[in-house]
Amino acid sequence: MMADIALGILGSLPTAIEGTNRLVVDIAMFFGLLVIVAMALNFQYGNAGIPNMGCAVQVIIGAFTVSALTVRLCFMIIEGAGVKLMSWASDYDWVYHQTWNVATANNFLKNQFMLSVSLLLFSLAVAILLGAVIGYLISLPAIRLRATYLMIVLITMADASQIFGRNIVSISGGTLGEFIPDVFRWYPGDKGVICAVVTLFLGLISFFIFRTMLNSPYGRLMRSLRENEVTVASVGKDVVSIRRNILMFASGVTAIAGVMNAFYTSYVIEAAYTRAYWTYWPWLMLILGGPGNNAGTFLGCALVVALRRVIIVYKFTIQAVFFFPISYLEEMILGVLLVAVMIFRPNGLIPEKLLYVPGVNYSNIVQEEVKVDWRSAPKARLKGGGLLGRKKKEEPKEEEKK
Amino acid sequence: MAALVYASELTLLSVGFTLTYLTAKVPNFAHGTYAGVGIYVSFTFAKVWGLSPYLGFPVAFIVGGIMSVIIYILVIGTLARMGGGSIVLTIATLAIQITLSALIYIYAFWLRAMMGGYAQNFLLKENDFEWIGFPGIFPVAIGISIAAVLVLHYLLTRTKMGVAMRATAEDPELSSVLGININQIQLFSWFLTGGLACLAGAMIPMWFMSTPGSGSAIITSIMAGSLLGGFESVYGAIVGGFAVGLSEILLTYVGSEVFGTWVGEYRPLVPMFFLIAVLLVEPRGLQGVYDRIMARRMISPKTKPDQDAEKKEEGEKKE
Repeated sequence: MMADIALGILGSLPTAIEGTNRLVVDIAMFFGLLVIVAMALNFQYGNAGIPNMGCAVQVIIGAFTVSALTVRLCFMIIEGAGVKLMSWASDYDWVYHQTWNVATANNFLKNQFMLSVSLLLFSLAVAILLGAVIGYLISLPAIRLRATYLMIVLITMADASQIFGRNIVSISGGTLGEFIPDVFRWYPGDKGVICAVVTLFLGLISFFIFRTMLNSPYGRLMRSLRENEVTVASVGKDVVSIRRNILMFASGVTAIAGVMNAFYTSYVIEAAYTRAYWTYWPWLMLILGGPGNNAGTFLGCALVVALRRVIIVYKFTIQAVFFFPISYLEEMILGVLLVAVMIFRPNGLIPEKLLYVPGVNYSNIVQEEVKVDWRSAPKARLKGGGLLGRKKKEEPKEEEKK
Repeated sequence: MAALVYASELTLLSVGFTLTYLTAKVPNFAHGTYAGVGIYVSFTFAKVWGLSPYLGFPVAFIVGGIMSVIIYILVIGTLARMGGGSIVLTIATLAIQITLSALIYIYAFWLRAMMGGYAQNFLLKENDFEWIGFPGIFPVAIGISIAAVLVLHYLLTRTKMGVAMRATAEDPELSSVLGININQIQLFSWFLTGGLACLAGAMIPMWFMSTPGSGSAIITSIMAGSLLGGFESVYGAIVGGFAVGLSEILLTYVGSEVFGTWVGEYRPLVPMFFLIAVLLVEPRGLQGVYDRIMARRMISPKTKPDQDAEKKEEGEKKE
């Protein structure tokens, strides 16, 4: 059965992507999306100690880039190529002719491989740029102050961006939402598969970028910033601008998730970008897996996404048992799990490891020999449980020396 | 009038938020959701048991207090004892907020399943009494908030408990050395804040359309009020909460008169505007402005020794 699934997915025949296979593709897609967000969050919170509670803002920026800019560009190109579209100038036409226009655009994009790919690349590039700009803007009021203020501002920003999206129709069609032209129409197989593959590929690229950055001197700077910012400032580093750069970079990466989500669902509506979904779930993944550790982020992300998608797919079976909508059960699971992980596994499932520096054996540097005269300090011996263990190992060595 | 009612409710909430921040050093994101619990206490009294919702107010206070204490013992206290930093505690309060609001929704659906009525979107105006032409909630809300502020002032300045609370807020370790039971103080302050929040929440459906989510939605206004007041001062929070509540409704009202009804959609942006403006201009809020004025007052007698001899004495006393 597994071989069937694998073959079906690899061949991505539209007939094969059904039932369980569809679930697998779905899990892969959302794993790709959320792992990008969670990894960027890990970069900010796990390594630099910036509590970014505004992931939803950056994701929504990605989605709005697609709905407001890419769609307009696509329409312009299509009209330039001589295909007749219905008018999309005024707000009313923009919303109500959208379905028809997008259908025309899809037919046009079917044979245009280069155009589709360049549209995808365009939206990714603009989203990264706009994400960085928004990262700079939201960092303005509170980056100098305590972390708590930053959290408050970012959380309220997520709500504010939703309000703007709801009321300014030309961004994403207001409350009605907006269809997106399908840039994967050239692919003969199933759209979900190619979308998942592209998203996972983008996730892989960002993983390597993050890993390289973390293992570079900049990564060590980030960790030292997390541990003690006063020390970093006293060595002559500009704490505020380092933090701002990190926030901007991670915001840009987070916006990729918004772009891919818009293309996957072919639909953008502000109500889909609640802060519960795009901020709290990534935080749960991060804390479940273990902050400061990319492997932990992957594990947490996979666990949470699988749990969520299974609940959603088997919704109607589970629904029969309860009298309330299942989404509230999901929310309760989120909250209780978050608290339980923080109480019982404060370091997450995979605890943080020391940074990898090429050519330097970190463990040799850290494990210095500490010589303490234990007999003159019996109280310290009782207190330090961890040191006691090491002492026992060292004892035979001393006897040998004698 | 709506503005005054809303402002007095927001005052209670911001004061509670600030008190929690002072004693536990946590911005409690679940504070708005406590109000959601209060909303449903009122609803249960009015619609399920058919009593006056005013009878629900003291019950709401006690329910909120007990809930808050349970949350403190189970989550916040445990995490604080484990040495979680302020960010970990804040995330914990977010988790509590999610769980609590889900529980409120589930309760609403349970009510619907049991009663058959609609329990999601309601207003309790018809359960109100009338007082010289005004709806009863108008004097009651203002009276309760003034009384709460006065009681709180008395508590914080005159009683042993209040002084101990202030000392704990200043320096927990030093006050524990002086023989104050910090745990007891924390429990008391969480009980007080939870009770106040729930009481304020119980008053909301008397005037405003309420849903299970309206408690959680109010948190932005609470934080804006608290931040405007300086985040670390109870008296600042009183002024700040009142100002934000008043301006949130009045500005939206005036704006929709002047520019058209579309302004009403942007009402949640008003507290956010306050939040960002305060952070950009004066991060310490009204308390910071007050301190600066007081500092200038203290300095000015020295530069002009002939004038204001009394003020100099005042300054010396305060020093």
